[in-house]
Amino acid sequence: MMNSGSLTGGRSWPSRTSLTSSGKRIQKEMAELNTDPPADCSAGPKGDNLYHWVATLFGPQGTPYDGGIYFLDITFPANYPFKPPKVVFKTRIYHCNVDSTGNVSLDILEENSWSPALTISKVLLALRSIFNNPNPYKPQVPGIAHLYLVDRSKHDALAAEWTQRFAK
Amino acid sequence: MVYDSIANASIPTAASNSKDFGKKKRVNRTAKLKQSKLDVRREQWLSQVKNRGFKEETKATRVTKMPAPETHATTETHAATEREHPIVKLEISVGGEENESLMNNYSDSESPSNSPTSHTSSVSESNISVTNFTGSSSRSSCGSSSSSGDCCSGSMTDEEDDEDDGCLDDWEAIADALAAADDIQKSPVDEHPLTPPEPEQPVLTPAGSTNFRAWRPDDVSRPQSLPNLVKQNSFPMKSGSSAFPSSCPICCEDLDMTDSSFLPCPCGYRLCLFCHKRILEDNGRCPGCRKQYESHGNAASSKFGLFGCLVWLGTLLDTGSSARFVNIDSICIEDHSHVKKVDWFHLQYVRYYPRAPGFMILDFLLFLDVL
Repeated sequence: MMNSGSLTGGRSWPSRTSLTSSGKRIQKEMAELNTDPPADCSAGPKGDNLYHWVATLFGPQGTPYDGGIYFLDITFPANYPFKPPKVVFKTRIYHCNVDSTGNVSLDILEENSWSPALTISKVLLALRSIFNNPNPYKPQVPGIAHLYLVDRSKHDALAAEWTQRFAK
Repeated sequence: MVYDSIANASIPTAASNSKDFGKKKRVNRTAKLKQSKLDVRREQWLSQVKNRGFKEETKATRVTKMPAPETHATTETHAATEREHPIVKLEISVGGEENESLMNNYSDSESPSNSPTSHTSSVSESNISVTNFTGSSSRSSCGSSSSSGDCCSGSMTDEEDDEDDGCLDDWEAIADALAAADDIQKSPVDEHPLTPPEPEQPVLTPAGSTNFRAWRPDDVSRPQSLPNLVKQNSFPMKSGSSAFPSSCPICCEDLDMTDSSFLPCPCGYRLCLFCHKRILEDNGRCPGCRKQYESHGNAASSKFGLFGCLVWLGTLLDTGSSARFVNIDSICIEDHSHVKKVDWFHLQYVRYYPRAPGFMILDFLLFLDVL
């Protein structure tokens, strides 16, 4: 269920004491999230490391994920915001764009589509949108995507079941 | 007449103000070189305006109020030689009525400002077009003549006929009406040189001078990457309006003056130079629109290639208090290969390095073959 191994291995993190440009940016994003949080999500540093955040998303109403609480790990690269943050679901979810280790296929999180103008707040909004609108044409789990396209009701039932099992 | 005016131009300047003599001397070479072009241009313009009828002449006389002894003299020469010419009379009377109070403030101590005035106008003779915040721009040939009001109004107002007076009573209204009728010919000009941050007013420019004119904000062919003059006027105030982010959205560092006037992408997304450079080293795409920053290599080369030219312009800008009144929108130098563009950002940069020797820059410009 957890996949912490691949997440932190082999990365060098910037100093925590001296505030780099990425640190300043992340701090500003944190302040903005506190003052003006997006609906149904929250995010903040996990501990005293500014570059390692945890975020929560609430499954939107009208979706099979309704009622679920999804935890995500957000790790900022040292050259954030020039490179995208890495987002990993820590809560299991039956979703064609999230694989069993929690990796998300979201276009704006890919290096080619990322823009430094994007913020974590916008990333969270994009993540919320894939609850409502999965993208089966760019799946992380092709089987779920296929089921989503072929038998939507069965897909939704399975997703709701996973929500009950893992996300409550 | 051309040479007359040159001779007259330099003498009163040197005599009237010894303090400015050194500066004058430095720029006199440039002035003399270009004065003839200036006069030719004035003649062109006068004939153009004459064809367009008297009323249009009226509005065209709105101009900078900076005193320019050099151009005073030329205007006097004009007035003497072309007294029968209605435009000349009108210009002078406008200056006399409008600027008499201002002229007192603009004593000779302010006269360094005349060198930018006359120079920028002469610059526009070549392929460099320059827009002055104070409204001298390419029209400064006619513009500076109005500043001669103080010395000329006494003798010249006698010559005004009733028709002139009638026009002058509401010449501003006429100017507005004409501006509406002929809105392609608009050019942003600040009406009041004493308060530069005021919003500029559209003023008509003479027709047919498209080649030598600075870009206007509404110009179709204006490069989108050029910063907007309206925004420029507000940025020295640092009003912190929403149009101008006070800090870089990427690194959250405060934007300085250079950064604030830096507009690398037509989409209008602003960021600091450091982040811009970093992005260029990476994928080179604008964070705002994800489009590739266009031809940044070109821009960089032109920036350094024209550096000397900019330093020269920087000396024009560097006249103490009057520098605030001079605002250069854009300079375009038509190269044999391509048009190199320099924007306000680069000029800002240049202003940090004032007082480069003018002759050196002049040589540089000659080397560039733009004069």
